[in-house]
Amino acid sequence: MERFIDLSLSAIMLAGLYATMAYGLGLIYGVLRVVNLAHGGVIMAGAYLGWVLFERWGIDPYLALPLVIVASFLLGIVMYRLLVRHLPRGPAGGPASLLLLFGTWLVLRNVSYLLFTGNDQAIRTSYSTASVPFLGTFVSVNRLGVLAVAVVLPILLQLLLKKTYTGRAIRAVAQNADSCTLVGVDVERIYALTFGLGTALAGVAGLLSATIFSFNPGFGSGELLKSFVVVVLGGLGSILGVGLAAFILAVVEVFAILVLPSYLTSAVGFVMLVFVLVLRPGGLFGQRVLG
Amino acid sequence: MSVSTPDLVPPRVAAGFAAGVVLLAVAPWALDLSPYSHNLVTLAFLLISGAVAWNWMGGFLGQISFGHAALFGLGGFVSARLLLSGPVPAPLAWLVGGLVAGVFSLGAHPALRLRGPYFSIATIGLGEAVRLIFTYWEDFTGGASGLSLPIDPDMKHQLYWWGLGLAAIVVAVSWLMRHSTFGLQLLAIKADVDAAGDVGVSATFYQDLVFVLSGAVVGVSGGLYASYFSFIEPNDMFGFDRSIAFVLMTVIGGVGTILGPVLGAIVFVLLRQYLLASYPDLYLGLYGALLILIILFEPLGMAGLLRRLGHLLRRRRVPAAAAGGTP
Amino acid sequence: MRSRSTVPSSRPALLSTLLLALVAAVPRAAGAAAPTKVSIGATLPLTGAEARIGGFFKEGYDLAFEEVNKKGGLTVGGKKLPVTLSILDDTSTQATAVSLADRLVNSDRVDFLLGTYASHLVEAQSTIGEQNRIPYVNGGGGATKIYRRGFKYLFGTIAPVELLGTTLMSWIDVQQKAGKLPKPAKIALLWENTAHGKDFRKGVSDFVAKSGGAYQISVDESFPLDGKDFSALLGKVKAAGVDLFLADAHLPDYITMHRQYVAAGLCHKVVSYGARGSEKGAIDALGQENVNYIVSGVWWSAELGKKPGLAKAFVELFGARYGGRKPEWFQALAYESARALFTAIEQAGTLDREAVRAKLAALKIPSLLPGGTLEYPAAMGQQAQNPFVLQQNLPDRTSPIIYPPDSATGTGVAVNPRCPK
Repeated sequence: MERFIDLSLSAIMLAGLYATMAYGLGLIYGVLRVVNLAHGGVIMAGAYLGWVLFERWGIDPYLALPLVIVASFLLGIVMYRLLVRHLPRGPAGGPASLLLLFGTWLVLRNVSYLLFTGNDQAIRTSYSTASVPFLGTFVSVNRLGVLAVAVVLPILLQLLLKKTYTGRAIRAVAQNADSCTLVGVDVERIYALTFGLGTALAGVAGLLSATIFSFNPGFGSGELLKSFVVVVLGGLGSILGVGLAAFILAVVEVFAILVLPSYLTSAVGFVMLVFVLVLRPGGLFGQRVLG
Repeated sequence: MSVSTPDLVPPRVAAGFAAGVVLLAVAPWALDLSPYSHNLVTLAFLLISGAVAWNWMGGFLGQISFGHAALFGLGGFVSARLLLSGPVPAPLAWLVGGLVAGVFSLGAHPALRLRGPYFSIATIGLGEAVRLIFTYWEDFTGGASGLSLPIDPDMKHQLYWWGLGLAAIVVAVSWLMRHSTFGLQLLAIKADVDAAGDVGVSATFYQDLVFVLSGAVVGVSGGLYASYFSFIEPNDMFGFDRSIAFVLMTVIGGVGTILGPVLGAIVFVLLRQYLLASYPDLYLGLYGALLILIILFEPLGMAGLLRRLGHLLRRRRVPAAAAGGTP
Repeated sequence: MRSRSTVPSSRPALLSTLLLALVAAVPRAAGAAAPTKVSIGATLPLTGAEARIGGFFKEGYDLAFEEVNKKGGLTVGGKKLPVTLSILDDTSTQATAVSLADRLVNSDRVDFLLGTYASHLVEAQSTIGEQNRIPYVNGGGGATKIYRRGFKYLFGTIAPVELLGTTLMSWIDVQQKAGKLPKPAKIALLWENTAHGKDFRKGVSDFVAKSGGAYQISVDESFPLDGKDFSALLGKVKAAGVDLFLADAHLPDYITMHRQYVAAGLCHKVVSYGARGSEKGAIDALGQENVNYIVSGVWWSAELGKKPGLAKAFVELFGARYGGRKPEWFQALAYESARALFTAIEQAGTLDREAVRAKLAALKIPSLLPGGTLEYPAAMGQQAQNPFVLQQNLPDRTSPIIYPPDSATGTGVAVNPRCPK
């Protein structure tokens, strides 16, 4: 029983992290139909930004959240204006967008390598290793914080999408960009905003990851791969699906240790990804997106 | 759909191709290449074969694979295992490695239903799963510590011509693919799978065929690679970086063209040798920047640039006559 | 299909010419005249995954070369010859490490090779030395497998990682025999799935197999390099209720795993992360209170310099050159590898590779390494077998050597005082 509680708690904490990592990827895909391969690079940039703020000015990572959100939002806007805007829309733009954003990722990696060298860094706060007893086991305070952010973020996002004019415009553009142009919505602006919002979410994921893991400029590729799995499971483009899918992936990975060698547990996620893509291309609960 | 397979390859093309191959085949003696240059060109041939084969999928079919390292690694490890198991002639081992990789790529058949980004994401997932499983599979790959082949300097020297042969065959196949009904069918599938089906092109069959061919060639080049390096290790052979290298080489050279992947592979080898030694800090970013520039300004890569240059020169030389070129 | 087949026929031929022109541009060194210098080549991972350690190795090599050249160079056949070192960056990738070694040998025409860092790179790269019959001395490839290929030109200054597992278990065994640890003691053995981790595991499990039931491995799991979430794995360790936590991880995984270990409220009588534990970077990232009593096993430690001898001289030399910093085992093994090669060249009195190879194979010199002597025993595939030293982090921020007794600068604490009774 204690083992079960232990594993369940691990799964919930991990789900929070996975969800945070995947929201940005899902949002951008849902609206722009672009797979943001630079996602991992933005996560890495968010981690470094958090680290600089903490080491240089002693700003606690959770207090740095707004700063990181604004900075990575701006990074996203720049990336959109300079690069993504020029891509052809529609299915023909698929491969081009993958490659373009992949190139952007390589550049981001190189820039942070030049700025920070390849050394491993970590953020150590007073609560980095603190934990609270819970049901006979211990729960990391920091992981609880990450979980809280993972729960609050989609709620804020939903509020934004439902209650504000911009949010409603984003949803409208996601459904049909052409008719939005007809009724006078500035689709380009909405695309730019959405891309910025998506990268802001990735930046947050990077910041939070930096409080848990050590990182270097290559950081983010594992995170990108996990985000893919989550977003595909949840149906590309469904924010609530992402949350649920993160939970499913985390449960499967964590409980897999009961039957599989630990080394292979992360392969389970990738195998699931392939099966879901092939069998239910719309994700476990999403709309059909194939063809 | 009135164009059929040309009965004969245009003599000019055939002659040029043959001249190129012969030139390269005699080069080690004619130019008295240093062992280092000799090996460098061998490596370039292996990468050329891989890139051209990747291009059949990524360029001709428009299915961008981020998982070709799985096929490369499989070919490499199957060959290496065979070579270690007893007195198997190396070419046979490479061939078997290629066949296994080809058959294995058929296993990805269900993924071929997916188009565009979905296919790419599926290949990323497959590639990672394969890497993890093969790194764990100690008995086959030697696990994380990999496999060592006996050192054989003569074999390494000969690999130049084996590599050249493979690259020549693969480039020729590329040309034939492009200039036949088969190539047209692939183009039709690339443009619109459903429409291609409507006019009687069996999309599934052709996609499978191309995937198997591509996998087999990449597998063979993996086998040659194993013999070249005498040591292979799953994290490197199956790594995401290797999958990415196929993409980079082809896209920088010119995706969907015949000579693009060749150019891309050459640039890849040269950049790695020269740039890396002098500016190691910049090479990743440079690839990234090249990729961005190519996508934004010249989707056909270096091959596209050459083509433009060619048009420009020809227009100058023959002001009007060029318009009605021979078919 | 009109325009597509108008490929100018000359293009493939042109392309081949281009390819050849580019590689033929590689300068060919002139034939060997009377030597005016000794040129030695090496690649190191100065960028990429192993960049940090690659930099440490460079410091060790640089120091060794500067020292020799300060004295006018190497005495070869009665003449003093300066020694030069060409270092190229292999970016932590195997293919590059091999190609660049090929370039050093066949294009830059170096006389001898020094090795790169990390087992997989050394295993791949050493093939170049063997193919070209050039002595290759390395201090960065510890996996035993590298030396089981029967290579004649490969020399390893770095003792096998297996020995790290054995040494760790030997110390634990002393503690158990003194009644400080339970018998049988249950072990959780976690290892990164690399050549390094596999050797560590072999060292520990071979010892356990021979212990006649004094130990029992309850958890035996590997994890991927750069693993992220260890909570499920640590949960398994917790459920197994073990006494000894023996892991082998590289620095980032050590930091990530140990944070989760502490947060999960785990505590074991003996905690080790293999070679990791006493690094300043780790202590900064984890906090002194969380790394206390961790036992680590290393090939060399600056602690050895507390006693008079070669190690002391090296620590002082290094401090003087690098602003008072303390060297770690990386710099020491790099320095010692270079020194071994220099000694063999001087003993041979010629730059002839066969002669130098023979001298390396027969080498037996006083060394700054634990054990005090460096040799490359043929029976072990020319891999040095110097013992490891175990260090333990103490609350007073020191990490004295606790084992073996002849190197010890402090006494070890067997039962982790951090754990609640």
